[in-house]
Amino acid sequence: MAKLLDKQRYKCALGAMQTVQAINRALPILHSGPGCAQKLSESTGSSGYFSPNIFPCTSINEKDVVFGGVKKLDSTIENALKVVDADLYVVLTGCIPEIVGDDTGEVVSRYADNDKPVIYAPTAGFKGNNYKGHEQVVDAIVEQYLKKSETKQKGLVNIWADVPYQDLFWLGNIRELEKLVSELGLIPNTIFGYKRGLDNIKKLPEAEFNLLVSPWVGLSTMKKMERKFGIPYLHCRTLPIGATETSKFLREVGKFAGVNEEKVESVIKEHEDYYYYLIERYADLFLENRVINKQFTVVADAQYSLGITKFLVNDLGLIPAKQFVVDDTPKAYRESITEEFKNLNFGIKAEVSFETDGYKIHEEIKNHDYHGYPLVLGGYYEKEVTENLNGNFLNISWPVQDKVVFDNFYVGYAGGIRLIEDIYTVAVSRFN
Amino acid sequence: MLYKIAVGSSDGVNVDLKFGEVKKFIIFEVDDKKRKLLEIRNVDNYETSAETNSCDNYEKGCGSSGCSGNGNGCNGATDVISKVEAVSDCRCVVCKKVGFQAQKQLERKAVSIFDIEGNVDKILEKIIDYYAKIDERRLNSRKNVEL
Repeated sequence: MAKLLDKQRYKCALGAMQTVQAINRALPILHSGPGCAQKLSESTGSSGYFSPNIFPCTSINEKDVVFGGVKKLDSTIENALKVVDADLYVVLTGCIPEIVGDDTGEVVSRYADNDKPVIYAPTAGFKGNNYKGHEQVVDAIVEQYLKKSETKQKGLVNIWADVPYQDLFWLGNIRELEKLVSELGLIPNTIFGYKRGLDNIKKLPEAEFNLLVSPWVGLSTMKKMERKFGIPYLHCRTLPIGATETSKFLREVGKFAGVNEEKVESVIKEHEDYYYYLIERYADLFLENRVINKQFTVVADAQYSLGITKFLVNDLGLIPAKQFVVDDTPKAYRESITEEFKNLNFGIKAEVSFETDGYKIHEEIKNHDYHGYPLVLGGYYEKEVTENLNGNFLNISWPVQDKVVFDNFYVGYAGGIRLIEDIYTVAVSRFN
Repeated sequence: MLYKIAVGSSDGVNVDLKFGEVKKFIIFEVDDKKRKLLEIRNVDNYETSAETNSCDNYEKGCGSSGCSGNGNGCNGATDVISKVEAVSDCRCVVCKKVGFQAQKQLERKAVSIFDIEGNVDKILEKIIDYYAKIDERRLNSRKNVEL
Protein backbone atom coordinates (compact mmCIF):
# COMPACT_ATOMS: atom_id res chain seq x y z
CA MET A 1 0.00 0.00 0.00
CA ALA A 2 1.10 3.56 -0.64
CA LYS A 3 2.18 5.49 2.42
CA LEU A 4 0.41 8.67 3.44
CA LEU A 5 2.39 11.81 4.12
CA ASP A 6 0.74 14.08 6.65
CA LYS A 7 1.12 17.86 6.37
CA GLN A 8 3.98 18.05 3.91
CA ARG A 9 5.78 21.41 3.65
CA TYR A 10 6.69 21.53 0.01
CA LYS A 11 5.16 21.19 -3.42
CA CYS A 12 6.16 19.22 -6.48
CA ALA A 13 9.00 20.39 -8.69
CA LEU A 14 6.58 22.22 -11.00
CA GLY A 15 6.23 24.66 -8.08
CA ALA A 16 9.40 26.13 -9.58
CA MET A 17 7.09 28.40 -11.54
CA GLN A 18 7.47 30.58 -8.43
CA THR A 19 11.19 30.74 -9.04
CA VAL A 20 10.57 31.89 -12.61
CA GLN A 21 7.99 34.35 -11.35
CA ALA A 22 10.60 35.84 -9.00
CA ILE A 23 12.73 36.81 -12.00
CA ASN A 24 11.48 40.13 -13.28
CA ARG A 25 9.83 39.83 -16.71
CA ALA A 26 10.40 36.08 -16.94
CA LEU A 27 7.42 33.96 -17.91
CA PRO A 28 6.79 30.31 -17.16
CA ILE A 29 5.17 28.29 -19.96
CA LEU A 30 3.68 25.17 -18.46
CA HIS A 31 3.63 21.86 -20.29
CA SER A 32 1.29 20.11 -17.92
CA GLY A 33 -2.30 19.29 -17.20
CA PRO A 34 -4.51 22.26 -16.32
CA GLY A 35 -4.95 21.09 -12.74
CA CYS A 36 -1.23 21.05 -11.91
CA ALA A 37 -0.75 24.81 -12.11
CA GLN A 38 -4.02 25.49 -10.38
CA LYS A 39 -3.12 23.28 -7.41
CA LEU A 40 0.27 24.96 -7.06
CA SER A 41 -1.02 28.50 -7.27
CA GLU A 42 -2.00 29.31 -3.71
CA SER A 43 1.01 31.40 -2.76
CA THR A 44 0.54 35.11 -2.25
CA GLY A 45 2.34 37.88 -4.08
CA SER A 46 2.79 38.27 -7.81
CA SER A 47 5.86 38.98 -9.86
CA GLY A 48 5.00 42.67 -10.03
CA TYR A 49 4.75 42.40 -13.79
CA PHE A 50 2.59 39.40 -14.69
CA SER A 51 -0.57 38.43 -12.91
CA PRO A 52 0.19 35.74 -10.39
CA ASN A 53 -0.32 32.22 -11.62
CA ILE A 54 -1.97 33.08 -14.93
CA PHE A 55 0.49 31.48 -17.27
CA PRO A 56 0.39 29.91 -20.73
CA CYS A 57 -0.29 26.20 -20.30
CA THR A 58 -0.67 23.36 -22.78
CA SER A 59 -3.50 21.90 -20.67
CA ILE A 60 -2.75 18.43 -21.95
CA ASN A 61 -5.40 15.73 -21.64
CA GLU A 62 -5.93 12.05 -22.31
CA LYS A 63 -5.51 12.46 -26.04
CA ASP A 64 -2.02 13.92 -25.55
CA VAL A 65 -1.11 11.03 -23.30
CA VAL A 66 -1.86 8.60 -26.12
CA PHE A 67 -0.62 10.62 -29.09
CA GLY A 68 1.95 12.96 -27.47
CA GLY A 69 1.63 16.63 -26.61
CA VAL A 70 4.50 17.98 -28.69
CA LYS A 71 2.30 19.77 -31.23
CA LYS A 72 0.36 21.51 -28.50
CA LEU A 73 3.57 22.58 -26.78
CA ASP A 74 4.93 24.01 -30.00
CA SER A 75 1.82 26.07 -30.64
CA THR A 76 1.64 27.20 -27.01
CA ILE A 77 5.22 28.48 -27.11
CA GLU A 78 4.69 30.07 -30.51
CA ASN A 79 1.60 31.94 -29.35
CA ALA A 80 3.04 32.89 -25.95
CA LEU A 81 5.89 34.56 -27.82
CA LYS A 82 3.36 36.49 -29.91
CA VAL A 83 1.00 37.48 -27.13
CA VAL A 84 3.02 37.89 -23.92
CA ASP A 85 5.76 40.50 -23.68
CA ALA A 86 8.46 38.90 -21.53
CA ASP A 87 12.26 38.92 -21.47
CA LEU A 88 12.77 35.25 -20.73
CA TYR A 89 10.47 32.30 -21.40
CA VAL A 90 10.94 29.20 -19.29
CA VAL A 91 9.11 26.04 -20.32
CA LEU A 92 8.38 23.87 -17.30
CA THR A 93 7.27 20.27 -17.77
CA GLY A 94 4.95 18.41 -15.44
CA CYS A 95 4.81 14.68 -14.76
CA ILE A 96 2.53 13.66 -17.62
CA PRO A 97 4.63 14.84 -20.59
CA GLU A 98 7.75 13.35 -19.05
CA ILE A 99 6.14 9.98 -18.41
CA VAL A 100 4.68 9.93 -21.91
CA GLY A 101 8.07 10.93 -23.29
CA ASP A 102 7.50 14.26 -25.00
CA ASP A 103 10.84 15.64 -26.17
CA THR A 104 10.47 19.10 -24.70
CA GLY A 105 14.12 19.93 -25.31
CA GLU A 106 13.71 19.34 -29.02
CA VAL A 107 10.63 21.57 -29.25
CA VAL A 108 12.33 24.35 -27.28
CA SER A 109 15.44 24.10 -29.47
CA ARG A 110 13.28 25.18 -32.43
CA TYR A 111 13.17 28.61 -30.75
CA ALA A 112 16.93 28.92 -30.37
CA ASP A 113 17.02 31.71 -32.95
CA ASN A 114 14.22 33.68 -31.33
CA ASP A 115 15.29 37.16 -30.19
CA LYS A 116 13.90 36.50 -26.70
CA PRO A 117 15.48 33.48 -25.00
CA VAL A 118 13.35 30.35 -24.55
CA ILE A 119 14.73 27.68 -22.20
CA TYR A 120 13.24 24.65 -20.48
CA ALA A 121 13.49 22.96 -17.12
CA PRO A 122 12.37 19.38 -16.51
CA THR A 123 10.31 19.83 -13.35
CA ALA A 124 8.30 16.62 -13.18
CA GLY A 125 6.96 16.04 -9.70
CA PHE A 126 8.40 12.55 -9.48
CA LYS A 127 11.88 14.03 -9.74
CA GLY A 128 11.57 15.90 -6.48
CA ASN A 129 9.99 18.82 -4.67
CA ASN A 130 10.01 22.53 -5.44
CA TYR A 131 13.43 22.96 -3.81
CA LYS A 132 14.76 20.64 -6.54
CA GLY A 133 12.58 22.43 -9.09
CA HIS A 134 14.21 25.71 -8.11
CA GLU A 135 17.62 24.18 -8.75
CA GLN A 136 16.40 22.89 -12.12
CA VAL A 137 15.34 26.38 -13.23
CA VAL A 138 18.64 28.00 -12.22
CA ASP A 139 20.47 25.06 -13.83
CA ALA A 140 18.50 25.63 -17.03
CA ILE A 141 19.58 29.28 -17.12
CA VAL A 142 23.20 28.31 -16.55
CA GLU A 143 23.21 25.46 -19.06
CA GLN A 144 21.01 26.75 -21.84
CA TYR A 145 21.33 30.51 -21.76
CA LEU A 146 24.66 31.62 -20.32
CA LYS A 147 28.06 31.39 -21.93
CA LYS A 148 31.49 31.57 -20.35
CA SER A 149 32.77 35.11 -20.03
CA GLU A 150 36.40 35.92 -20.86
CA THR A 151 36.30 39.11 -18.81
CA LYS A 152 35.66 39.25 -15.11
CA GLN A 153 34.31 42.26 -13.25
CA LYS A 154 36.42 43.04 -10.21
CA GLY A 155 34.58 42.52 -6.93
CA LEU A 156 31.41 41.17 -8.53
CA VAL A 157 29.76 38.49 -6.38
CA ASN A 158 26.70 36.44 -7.30
CA ILE A 159 24.59 35.85 -4.22
CA TRP A 160 22.27 32.85 -4.00
CA ALA A 161 19.86 32.13 -1.18
CA ASP A 162 16.87 29.91 -0.72
CA VAL A 163 13.72 29.43 -2.80
CA PRO A 164 11.64 32.55 -3.59
CA TYR A 165 8.03 32.51 -2.32
CA GLN A 166 8.61 29.18 -0.57
CA ASP A 167 10.75 31.25 1.75
CA LEU A 168 8.43 33.93 3.10
CA PHE A 169 11.26 36.39 3.65
CA TRP A 170 13.12 35.72 0.40
CA LEU A 171 13.03 39.26 -0.98
CA GLY A 172 14.00 41.03 2.23
CA ASN A 173 16.65 38.42 2.97
CA ILE A 174 18.41 38.65 -0.35
CA ARG A 175 18.38 42.46 -0.29
CA GLU A 176 19.90 42.43 3.20
CA LEU A 177 22.58 39.97 2.09
CA GLU A 178 23.33 42.29 -0.84
CA LYS A 179 23.65 45.19 1.55
CA LEU A 180 26.02 43.36 3.89
CA VAL A 181 28.23 42.18 1.03
CA SER A 182 28.35 45.63 -0.53
CA GLU A 183 29.50 47.10 2.79
CA LEU A 184 32.62 44.97 2.43
CA GLY A 185 33.32 46.86 -0.79
CA LEU A 186 32.13 44.06 -3.08
CA ILE A 187 29.51 44.40 -5.83
CA PRO A 188 26.57 42.06 -5.23
CA ASN A 189 24.65 40.53 -8.15
CA THR A 190 21.34 38.75 -7.69
CA ILE A 191 18.72 37.74 -10.23
CA PHE A 192 15.50 37.69 -8.19
CA GLY A 193 13.09 40.49 -7.35
CA TYR A 194 12.55 44.15 -8.12
CA LYS A 195 14.86 45.77 -10.71
CA ARG A 196 16.75 42.54 -11.22
CA GLY A 197 16.23 40.33 -14.20
CA LEU A 198 17.82 39.42 -17.50
CA ASP A 199 20.54 42.08 -17.19
CA ASN A 200 21.64 40.56 -13.91
CA ILE A 201 21.44 37.07 -15.38
CA LYS A 202 23.78 38.16 -18.18
CA LYS A 203 26.27 39.40 -15.59
CA LEU A 204 26.42 36.04 -13.77
CA PRO A 205 29.43 34.64 -15.72
CA GLU A 206 31.46 37.80 -15.10
CA ALA A 207 31.49 37.36 -11.34
CA GLU A 208 34.64 36.71 -9.35
CA PHE A 209 32.85 34.18 -7.20
CA ASN A 210 29.49 32.73 -6.23
CA LEU A 211 28.26 33.12 -2.69
CA LEU A 212 25.77 30.43 -1.69
CA VAL A 213 23.93 31.02 1.58
CA SER A 214 21.97 27.82 2.04
CA PRO A 215 22.52 24.45 3.69
CA TRP A 216 22.07 22.57 0.42
CA VAL A 217 19.72 24.23 -2.09
CA GLY A 218 21.73 25.37 -5.09
CA LEU A 219 24.96 23.59 -4.24
CA SER A 220 24.83 21.46 -7.39
CA THR A 221 24.30 24.62 -9.45
CA MET A 222 27.38 26.22 -7.86
CA LYS A 223 29.44 23.19 -8.85
CA LYS A 224 28.02 23.39 -12.35
CA MET A 225 28.99 27.05 -12.66
CA GLU A 226 32.45 26.29 -11.35
CA ARG A 227 32.88 23.70 -14.12
CA LYS A 228 31.32 25.71 -16.92
CA PHE A 229 32.42 29.28 -16.15
CA GLY A 230 35.40 28.64 -13.89
CA ILE A 231 33.78 30.65 -11.11
CA PRO A 232 34.73 29.44 -7.63
CA TYR A 233 32.09 29.36 -4.93
CA LEU A 234 31.88 30.00 -1.23
CA HIS A 235 29.34 27.85 0.55
CA CYS A 236 27.95 29.32 3.79
CA ARG A 237 25.65 26.63 5.20
CA THR A 238 24.13 28.80 7.89
CA LEU A 239 21.72 31.59 7.11
CA PRO A 240 23.33 34.35 9.21
CA ILE A 241 20.78 35.64 11.71
CA GLY A 242 21.93 37.88 14.56
CA ALA A 243 25.36 39.16 15.54
CA THR A 244 27.29 35.92 16.14
CA GLU A 245 26.56 34.28 12.82
CA THR A 246 26.55 37.46 10.74
CA SER A 247 29.99 38.48 12.02
CA LYS A 248 31.26 34.96 11.24
CA PHE A 249 29.66 35.24 7.81
CA LEU A 250 31.26 38.62 7.05
CA ARG A 251 34.69 37.38 8.14
CA GLU A 252 34.34 34.30 5.98
CA VAL A 253 33.24 36.27 2.91
CA GLY A 254 35.93 38.91 3.54
CA LYS A 255 38.63 36.25 3.77
CA PHE A 256 37.45 34.45 0.64
CA ALA A 257 37.26 37.68 -1.36
CA GLY A 258 40.56 38.97 -0.02
CA VAL A 259 39.08 42.04 1.62
CA ASN A 260 41.33 43.93 4.00
CA GLU A 261 40.83 42.52 7.51
CA GLU A 262 40.66 45.94 9.12
CA LYS A 263 37.88 46.92 6.77
CA VAL A 264 35.89 43.79 7.64
CA GLU A 265 36.37 44.35 11.36
CA SER A 266 35.30 47.98 11.14
CA VAL A 267 32.08 46.98 9.34
CA ILE A 268 31.41 44.31 11.96
CA LYS A 269 32.14 46.69 14.85
CA GLU A 270 29.74 49.31 13.62
CA HIS A 271 26.93 46.78 13.27
CA GLU A 272 27.65 44.97 16.52
CA ASP A 273 27.78 48.20 18.50
CA TYR A 274 24.28 49.12 17.43
CA TYR A 275 23.04 45.53 17.80
CA TYR A 276 24.23 45.21 21.39
CA TYR A 277 23.06 48.73 22.18
CA LEU A 278 19.53 47.57 21.32
CA ILE A 279 19.92 44.31 23.25
CA GLU A 280 21.22 46.13 26.32
CA ARG A 281 18.38 48.61 26.33
CA TYR A 282 16.00 45.70 26.75
CA ALA A 283 18.21 43.63 29.03
CA ASP A 284 15.52 43.59 31.71
CA LEU A 285 13.20 41.90 29.26
CA PHE A 286 15.78 39.20 28.48
CA LEU A 287 16.71 38.67 32.12
CA GLU A 288 13.12 38.29 33.27
CA ASN A 289 13.12 34.51 33.23
CA ARG A 290 9.37 34.05 33.18
CA VAL A 291 8.99 35.78 29.82
CA ILE A 292 10.76 33.47 27.44
CA ASN A 293 10.56 29.71 27.20
CA LYS A 294 13.35 27.48 28.40
CA GLN A 295 13.46 25.24 25.35
CA PHE A 296 12.53 25.71 21.75
CA THR A 297 11.86 23.70 18.60
CA VAL A 298 12.13 24.89 15.00
CA VAL A 299 10.08 23.11 12.35
CA ALA A 300 11.23 24.52 9.02
CA ASP A 301 13.31 23.89 5.93
CA ALA A 302 17.03 23.36 6.41
CA GLN A 303 18.00 27.02 6.13
CA TYR A 304 15.65 28.34 8.82
CA SER A 305 15.93 25.32 11.05
CA LEU A 306 19.71 25.70 11.14
CA GLY A 307 19.83 29.51 11.03
CA ILE A 308 17.28 30.08 13.79
CA THR A 309 18.65 27.31 16.02
CA LYS A 310 22.09 28.91 15.87
CA PHE A 311 20.64 32.34 16.54
CA LEU A 312 18.53 31.32 19.52
CA VAL A 313 21.39 29.38 21.11
CA ASN A 314 24.31 31.68 20.30
CA ASP A 315 22.63 35.06 20.66
CA LEU A 316 19.71 34.50 23.02
CA GLY A 317 21.12 31.66 25.10
CA LEU A 318 18.10 29.37 24.78
CA ILE A 319 18.35 25.58 24.94
CA PRO A 320 17.37 23.60 21.85
CA ALA A 321 14.92 20.73 22.11
CA LYS A 322 14.71 18.55 19.01
CA GLN A 323 14.84 20.47 15.71
CA PHE A 324 13.05 19.35 12.56
CA VAL A 325 14.15 19.79 8.96
CA VAL A 326 11.10 19.34 6.77
CA ASP A 327 12.31 20.06 3.22
CA ASP A 328 13.13 16.45 2.35
CA THR A 329 16.86 17.25 2.23
CA PRO A 330 18.68 14.85 -0.12
CA LYS A 331 20.49 12.15 1.85
CA ALA A 332 23.92 13.23 0.60
CA TYR A 333 23.69 16.56 2.44
CA ARG A 334 22.18 15.35 5.69
CA GLU A 335 25.37 14.46 7.49
CA SER A 336 27.05 17.84 6.96
CA ILE A 337 23.88 19.64 8.08
CA THR A 338 23.62 17.46 11.20
CA GLU A 339 27.23 18.39 12.00
CA GLU A 340 26.36 22.09 11.77
CA PHE A 341 23.63 21.59 14.37
CA LYS A 342 26.31 20.31 16.76
CA ASN A 343 28.51 23.32 16.13
CA LEU A 344 26.92 25.75 18.60
CA ASN A 345 28.37 28.06 21.25
CA PHE A 346 28.83 27.00 24.88
CA GLY A 347 29.37 23.39 23.75
CA ILE A 348 25.65 22.96 23.18
CA LYS A 349 24.55 20.39 20.62
CA ALA A 350 21.14 20.27 18.99
CA GLU A 351 19.47 17.06 17.98
CA VAL A 352 17.99 17.24 14.51
CA SER A 353 15.53 15.04 12.66
CA PHE A 354 14.97 15.03 8.91
CA GLU A 355 11.27 14.35 9.02
CA THR A 356 8.61 15.20 6.45
CA ASP A 357 5.62 13.68 8.21
CA GLY A 358 3.74 16.32 10.21
CA TYR A 359 2.00 13.74 12.38
CA LYS A 360 5.28 12.27 13.62
CA ILE A 361 6.70 15.74 14.28
CA HIS A 362 3.66 16.70 16.33
CA GLU A 363 3.83 13.48 18.33
CA GLU A 364 7.45 14.22 19.21
CA ILE A 365 6.62 17.79 20.22
CA LYS A 366 3.79 16.54 22.41
CA ASN A 367 5.94 13.91 24.08
CA HIS A 368 8.95 16.11 24.78
CA ASP A 369 9.44 17.72 28.18
CA TYR A 370 10.15 21.39 27.48
CA HIS A 371 10.56 22.17 31.22
CA GLY A 372 7.67 24.60 30.95
CA TYR A 373 5.70 25.69 27.96
CA PRO A 374 7.43 25.27 24.61
CA LEU A 375 8.53 27.85 22.06
CA VAL A 376 7.80 26.53 18.58
CA LEU A 377 8.85 28.32 15.42
CA GLY A 378 7.37 26.59 12.42
CA GLY A 379 4.73 26.47 9.76
CA TYR A 380 1.09 27.19 10.39
CA TYR A 381 0.55 23.46 10.98
CA GLU A 382 2.32 23.82 14.33
CA LYS A 383 -0.01 26.51 15.63
CA GLU A 384 -2.67 24.18 16.95
CA VAL A 385 -0.33 21.67 18.56
CA THR A 386 1.59 24.50 20.26
CA GLU A 387 -1.59 26.13 21.52
CA ASN A 388 -2.74 22.82 22.98
CA LEU A 389 0.53 22.69 24.91
CA ASN A 390 -0.04 26.27 26.02
CA GLY A 391 3.20 27.27 24.28
CA ASN A 392 4.39 30.23 22.24
CA PHE A 393 4.18 29.93 18.49
CA LEU A 394 5.70 31.97 15.68
CA ASN A 395 4.95 31.28 12.01
CA ILE A 396 8.27 31.52 10.17
CA SER A 397 8.11 28.88 7.46
CA TRP A 398 5.73 27.58 4.82
CA PRO A 399 2.74 27.27 5.07
CA VAL A 400 2.05 30.79 6.27
CA GLN A 401 -1.45 31.76 7.29
CA ASP A 402 -1.22 34.36 10.02
CA LYS A 403 1.34 36.71 8.62
CA VAL A 404 1.78 39.14 5.75
CA VAL A 405 5.35 39.76 4.72
CA PHE A 406 6.25 42.28 2.02
CA ASP A 407 9.99 42.74 2.38
CA ASN A 408 10.65 41.95 6.01
CA PHE A 409 13.74 39.83 6.69
CA TYR A 410 15.48 37.82 9.39
CA VAL A 411 18.95 37.82 7.91
CA GLY A 412 21.90 39.82 9.23
CA TYR A 413 22.14 42.03 12.31
CA ALA A 414 18.93 43.91 11.61
CA GLY A 415 17.14 40.65 10.78
CA GLY A 416 18.17 39.19 14.13
CA ILE A 417 16.61 42.17 15.87
CA ARG A 418 13.41 41.68 13.79
CA LEU A 419 13.25 38.04 14.88
CA ILE A 420 13.76 38.97 18.55
CA GLU A 421 10.96 41.52 18.20
CA ASP A 422 8.64 38.90 16.70
CA ILE A 423 9.44 36.22 19.29
CA TYR A 424 9.14 38.55 22.25
CA THR A 425 5.95 40.08 20.90
CA VAL A 426 4.45 36.60 21.09
CA ALA A 427 6.07 35.89 24.46
CA VAL A 428 4.98 39.05 26.27
CA SER A 429 1.48 39.06 24.84
CA ARG A 430 0.57 35.99 26.92
CA PHE A 431 0.88 38.10 30.08
CA ASN A 432 -1.56 40.73 28.86
CA MET B 1 -11.79 -6.19 -20.52
CA LEU B 2 -14.38 -5.91 -23.25
CA TYR B 3 -15.16 -2.49 -24.62
CA LYS B 4 -16.27 -0.60 -27.73
CA ILE B 5 -14.76 2.27 -29.69
CA ALA B 6 -16.80 4.57 -31.95
CA VAL B 7 -14.93 5.94 -34.96
CA GLY B 8 -16.01 8.80 -37.22
CA SER B 9 -14.72 7.88 -40.65
CA SER B 10 -16.23 8.33 -44.11
CA ASP B 11 -14.22 5.54 -45.77
CA GLY B 12 -13.18 3.29 -42.89
CA VAL B 13 -9.51 4.02 -43.60
CA ASN B 14 -9.04 7.51 -42.22
CA VAL B 15 -10.54 9.34 -39.27
CA ASP B 16 -11.80 12.35 -41.22
CA LEU B 17 -15.20 13.34 -39.81
CA LYS B 18 -16.12 15.81 -37.12
CA PHE B 19 -18.45 14.50 -34.45
CA GLY B 20 -21.32 16.55 -35.87
CA GLU B 21 -20.74 15.33 -39.42
CA VAL B 22 -20.95 11.64 -38.61
CA LYS B 23 -24.00 9.86 -39.99
CA LYS B 24 -22.67 6.36 -39.41
CA PHE B 25 -20.30 5.48 -36.61
CA ILE B 26 -17.99 2.55 -37.15
CA ILE B 27 -18.09 0.59 -33.92
CA PHE B 28 -15.19 -1.66 -33.00
CA GLU B 29 -15.23 -4.15 -30.20
CA VAL B 30 -11.96 -4.78 -28.37
CA ASP B 31 -11.26 -7.77 -26.22
CA ASP B 32 -7.81 -8.22 -24.74
CA LYS B 33 -6.03 -6.15 -27.41
CA LYS B 34 -7.88 -7.92 -30.28
CA ARG B 35 -10.19 -5.70 -32.24
CA LYS B 36 -13.03 -6.63 -34.53
CA LEU B 37 -15.57 -4.62 -36.48
CA LEU B 38 -18.81 -4.93 -34.57
CA GLU B 39 -21.26 -2.84 -36.55
CA ILE B 40 -21.89 0.27 -38.57
CA ARG B 41 -24.17 2.21 -36.33
CA ASN B 42 -26.55 4.51 -38.10
CA VAL B 43 -27.03 7.66 -36.07
CA ASP B 44 -29.17 9.42 -38.68
CA ASN B 45 -32.43 8.26 -37.14
CA TYR B 46 -31.40 9.87 -33.88
CA GLU B 47 -31.37 13.11 -35.77
CA THR B 48 -34.96 12.70 -36.88
CA SER B 49 -36.03 12.11 -33.35
CA ALA B 50 -34.29 15.32 -32.53
CA GLU B 51 -36.17 17.18 -35.20
CA THR B 52 -39.45 16.24 -33.69
CA ASN B 53 -38.29 17.86 -30.52
CA SER B 54 -40.39 20.89 -29.76
CA CYS B 55 -37.46 23.08 -28.97
CA ASP B 56 -36.91 24.57 -32.40
CA ASN B 57 -34.91 27.55 -31.29
CA TYR B 58 -31.79 25.52 -30.74
CA GLU B 59 -31.82 24.23 -34.26
CA LYS B 60 -32.33 27.60 -35.81
CA GLY B 61 -29.84 29.35 -33.60
CA CYS B 62 -27.15 26.84 -34.37
CA GLY B 63 -25.94 25.57 -37.70
CA SER B 64 -25.15 28.92 -39.23
CA SER B 65 -23.78 31.47 -36.83
CA GLY B 66 -24.82 30.22 -33.41
CA CYS B 67 -21.50 28.59 -32.62
CA SER B 68 -18.05 29.20 -33.98
CA GLY B 69 -18.01 26.03 -36.09
CA ASN B 70 -19.08 25.97 -39.70
CA GLY B 71 -22.15 24.01 -38.69
CA ASN B 72 -21.51 21.04 -40.96
CA GLY B 73 -24.05 18.55 -39.82
CA CYS B 74 -24.58 20.33 -36.55
CA ASN B 75 -28.20 20.73 -35.69
CA GLY B 76 -27.85 22.21 -32.26
CA ALA B 77 -27.85 20.97 -28.70
CA THR B 78 -30.69 18.48 -28.98
CA ASP B 79 -28.91 16.74 -31.84
CA VAL B 80 -25.75 16.52 -29.78
CA ILE B 81 -27.55 14.92 -26.84
CA SER B 82 -29.19 12.24 -28.93
CA LYS B 83 -25.98 11.48 -30.81
CA VAL B 84 -24.05 11.21 -27.55
CA GLU B 85 -26.75 8.87 -26.34
CA ALA B 86 -26.16 6.70 -29.40
CA VAL B 87 -22.48 6.13 -28.51
CA SER B 88 -22.80 6.15 -24.73
CA ASP B 89 -22.03 2.43 -24.54
CA CYS B 90 -18.57 3.04 -26.03
CA ARG B 91 -15.41 3.64 -24.04
CA CYS B 92 -14.23 6.38 -26.35
CA VAL B 93 -15.09 8.34 -29.48
CA VAL B 94 -12.50 8.99 -32.17
CA CYS B 95 -13.30 11.92 -34.48
CA LYS B 96 -11.43 14.60 -36.38
CA LYS B 97 -12.91 17.21 -34.06
CA VAL B 98 -15.46 17.28 -31.29
CA GLY B 99 -17.34 20.47 -30.47
CA PHE B 100 -17.58 21.94 -27.00
CA GLN B 101 -21.23 20.91 -26.51
CA ALA B 102 -20.55 17.33 -27.47
CA GLN B 103 -17.38 17.19 -25.36
CA LYS B 104 -19.28 18.17 -22.23
CA GLN B 105 -22.10 15.73 -22.92
CA LEU B 106 -19.66 12.89 -23.61
CA GLU B 107 -17.80 13.67 -20.38
CA ARG B 108 -21.10 13.34 -18.51
CA LYS B 109 -21.47 9.85 -19.94
CA ALA B 110 -17.84 9.07 -19.08
CA VAL B 111 -16.95 8.56 -22.73
CA SER B 112 -13.38 9.61 -23.56
CA ILE B 113 -12.69 11.79 -26.57
CA PHE B 114 -9.81 11.53 -29.00
CA ASP B 115 -10.04 14.38 -31.47
CA ILE B 116 -7.40 13.40 -33.95
CA GLU B 117 -7.03 13.02 -37.71
CA GLY B 118 -5.25 10.16 -39.44
CA ASN B 119 -5.17 6.48 -40.23
CA VAL B 120 -7.79 4.45 -38.37
CA ASP B 121 -5.55 1.40 -37.85
CA LYS B 122 -2.63 3.40 -36.48
CA ILE B 123 -4.79 5.49 -34.18
CA LEU B 124 -6.70 2.52 -32.82
CA GLU B 125 -3.49 0.62 -32.24
CA LYS B 126 -2.23 3.37 -29.96
CA ILE B 127 -5.50 3.77 -28.11
CA ILE B 128 -5.91 0.03 -27.54
CA ASP B 129 -2.33 -0.20 -26.34
CA TYR B 130 -2.99 2.66 -23.93
CA TYR B 131 -6.15 1.12 -22.52
CA ALA B 132 -4.42 -2.24 -22.16
CA LYS B 133 -1.76 -0.56 -20.02
CA ILE B 134 -4.23 1.16 -17.70
CA ASP B 135 -6.37 -1.95 -17.35
CA GLU B 136 -3.36 -4.05 -16.48
CA ARG B 137 -2.30 -1.50 -13.86
CA ARG B 138 -5.74 -1.37 -12.34
CA LEU B 139 -5.88 -5.14 -12.16
CA ASN B 140 -2.47 -5.26 -10.47
CA SER B 141 -3.28 -2.59 -7.92
CA ARG B 142 -6.49 -4.40 -7.06
CA LYS B 143 -4.52 -7.60 -6.55
CA ASN B 144 -2.09 -5.76 -4.27
CA VAL B 145 -4.90 -4.44 -2.13
CA GLU B 146 -6.34 -7.91 -1.76
CA LEU B 147 -2.95 -9.27 -0.69
